Order: sequence, then structure tokens, then C-alpha cells
Amino acid sequence: MYFPRLHVLRPESVQEAIDLLTQHGAAAKLYAGGTDLFPRIKYRVTLPEVVISLKKPISRARVIADDQFLSLDAVIPLAQVVRSETVREHASILTEAASAVGSYQIRHMGTLGGNLCLENRCMYYNQSHTFQFVEPCFKREGDLCYHVPKGERCWAVCCGDTALALIALNAQVEIVSAANTRQISVEGLYSGYSLRPLAIFPSEMVSRILVPKASLQRGSAFVKFSLRGGLEFAGLSVAVVLEMMDDLVTLNRARIVVGSVSSAPIRATKAETLLAGQKLSKDLLHEAAETVSRQVKPYSHHGFSVSYLKKCLKVYTSDALDLATQRVSQAVPG
Amino acid sequence: MKMKELIRLIINSELHELAVEPQTTLLEALRDQLGLTGAKEGCGTGECGTCTVLMDDKPILSCLTLAVDCEDAPIATIEGLAQGENLTAVQQNFLEKGAVQCGFCTPGMVLTVTALLKETPKPSDQEIEKALEGNICRCTGYNKIVQAIAAAVGRREVAEGI
Repeated sequence: MYFPRLHVLRPESVQEAIDLLTQHGAAAKLYAGGTDLFPRIKYRVTLPEVVISLKKPISRARVIADDQFLSLDAVIPLAQVVRSETVREHASILTEAASAVGSYQIRHMGTLGGNLCLENRCMYYNQSHTFQFVEPCFKREGDLCYHVPKGERCWAVCCGDTALALIALNAQVEIVSAANTRQISVEGLYSGYSLRPLAIFPSEMVSRILVPKASLQRGSAFVKFSLRGGLEFAGLSVAVVLEMMDDLVTLNRARIVVGSVSSAPIRATKAETLLAGQKLSKDLLHEAAETVSRQVKPYSHHGFSVSYLKKCLKVYTSDALDLATQRVSQAVPG
Repeated sequence: MKMKELIRLIINSELHELAVEPQTTLLEALRDQLGLTGAKEGCGTGECGTCTVLMDDKPILSCLTLAVDCEDAPIATIEGLAQGENLTAVQQNFLEKGAVQCGFCTPGMVLTVTALLKETPKPSDQEIEKALEGNICRCTGYNKIVQAIAAAVGRREVAEGI
């Protein structure tokens, strides 16, 4: 499978990349690993006029921990996140989520920022359109949806893994443009609109991820449902962070995030409210899992029906809550 | 728009100067320009692992890597692993355990495992299985591959069901 003709720009630094992005705007696409963008270019579903390589800044990517935050450069390869003892110590759920992404090779090529900025996916969109599904869908600037034939909008799903862990950790992202630098929550990075899933401008890029360090003991878990168990986007995934009071039995608060079932990651706010301030018990966790499956309305996607995903949601949320609870009692940090 | 660019690639410790188009993949440069056909094109979209090569000892998919992004980084292909007639422990055990059938996936498998052993010299069966999740084999069913790798790191037994 061949690339079309590409115009590749190779800046030395992130700052230079931002200048190029400002110059070319929406006509340009950034790539670091290229594992999400390049297959789409090869399928001819995304045809940017210019691609800007972030390969050179990758070698300088770092994780730094200060008093308040764990700071990760967006161009840090996922394999480096998985191997980092600092990440494991302060945000073990991020280690778990990063190791669930793609394959061994993809984790060495793909970056944390790239995984956060993953394009929404659909089994009709993400393939070659030369002999089937030729008429362009909404995402290819047409006006139809193959997945929901009478649908009036795009139903592509946000399938990133690390976003869930970062939202559960209440992390922030630093967004940089030539004009300014701003911080938003990882949750706020997603528009909830499948055609343009990221709530940032084309001239902006995600430059850093800031994870607040835990002030209280935490228990966390990331679980991913997929058919093959590797090199696969999730059918659904759940991230749970339980923040405990000093007695390690009473919850201060919980953050539960469900992914790969909608156009953006979903916070299970009703279950979070249910859990806040309560003493952990089997019944409470069971009720929380029930609440999540009632609140979250999954899209059908990649061959999974809504009713199947609903059932899975309850089971996997329950698993994630149990695992996070076990880790509280084992006093595993992060 | 540039037509061709002159780049320097360090392949198996040898320096090569090539003229490539911006969109030429590392895989195309290796196979079509340098005649190193060990890395194969299976899917072309990063899903099968047959194009795996090592860059700075890390496994990468050469079908999704532009040749212009590889300048001056040491790249190892399957052709550069053996020292003359002396195979590496991984290659030797693939041979002895019959971990090869059609052989199409084998270069990618061997290079992925070579990278794994550099990072984790004594991997568990689960770690081997996890590292191989991006390498598809349609012949062997993976058992013999995992057995060969376990043998390469000096283990005789592998867990059942792997």
C-alpha cells in the first residue's frame, strides 16, 4: 500500500513545529509516530497538503515530577511511559492504559500526545474506499453515514486508551500555539463531536500533560475489552480512580471514565456522586456498576451491538471497581 | 514541492546514501533500493508486524516510517543479525524448535523478540506473548514461537495454554 505524494516538513523543535503549524493551519497535519495518521493517508481518507514530523523532538521527550505535578512531554513514546518508574509510582493507571495501546511496535512509535489526539474511528471510515463504501460519508466530507444509514451525523467513536486514565487522574493538557499557551483539562480536550473530536484549533498542538500528584491514598484500575486482547482498539474501556480517606475504607471521591463507546470519553458522574464519602462495600460497588451502565448509552460500533456493550459495561466497570478496591487495600500507589 | 532528497541511512552498521521521495517508506527504501528483502509488506498499515525492523534497538514498523525520518539512526534488519554463519540464540532456537513454517512473519518475529530481550532479558511467557501481539502468524499458532523464545532465554518449560 503506497503513500500518495507527500510534502513533509521536519522541524528541529516543538517551537519550530508550532510556527509551521501557524503558517499552514488546517492544511497541515502533525505526526509523531504516524501510526494513526499514516494508515488513513494510505487509505486516502485523509489527504493533508503538508505533514509536519515531530520525530526530532521525540528524542528529547521527558517525564518530570515536581511537588505538585507529574509532567510528561506530549511527544513521549508510549513505551517510555510504560517503562517509566516515575509514572508507575505516581500514576500507575497511566502505565496500565499506555501498555494497553496497540502493539509492542506501536507503543515504541506512537506517543502519549498522539494517543490523546487519536482521530475518531468507524469500521466503514477506516479502510480503503476504492471498491466499497465509495460514496463519501460525513467524515469524508459527504452527507451520509454507512453505520447508521438514516443518521444525520457522524457516529465515529473515540477509541483512545490513555485519555481515560488521564481524565480519571484529573490531568491537564498544555495547549500551545504561536500566540499563547493555555491549560485545559484532558476532559475538556474532547468536543463530543465525531467530525472534529478535539476541542482545539488547527493551529494549536498539545505540548505537555500534567498529572496532579495524589494527596490521598489512591486505588486505580484500567480495564479494556477487546476481542483479540492485543493490537486492537477497545470495544469499551473503563478507568477508575478511588481516592481514599486516611482510614482506607471511606472514599473521599471516585472518578470513573468510560471510553470507546461514544464520540468522546464519558465521565460516569452519577456513580461518582453515589460513591463520594461512602464506606467501600461489595453492595456499594455493585450499585455503582449498575449506575454506570444505566447512565452511559453506548454507540454500537465495530460490530458490537448496544445491548451487548451495555452488558459488557456493567461487567467491566464492576471488574475495574473491584481491582481498584483491591489495590487500595494492597496500598499500591497511583 | 521537493522531488527527491538525498538521505543517509545507517543500515546494519553500514552507511548508505539514497535519493528518496518524501513519501518513500523505510520499507520501500530497504526492499526496493537496498535489496534487503527480509522485512516484508503484509498489510502496509501497521497491523501485521512483518515489516518490523529495529531503530536504536527499538522495534518499529517500517511500512509506517518515512525514510526521510530515519537519517543517522542505526537501523537493524534481519540480514544484519547473524555474524556470518553464527545465528543469534533467537534465530537458532526458531530453527531448532520448528517455529517457522511459511517464514513470511519470521523476520518480524525475530526482530521483535530481539528488541524484547534487550529490554527484558528474562521475559515470562506472558511478557513474550504481550510483545508478540503486533506480529501476526497464520501458520504456527504461536506455540512453537513462544517455546523457541523461552528456549533462547534458557527456559525449558512454557506455561500451558500459551
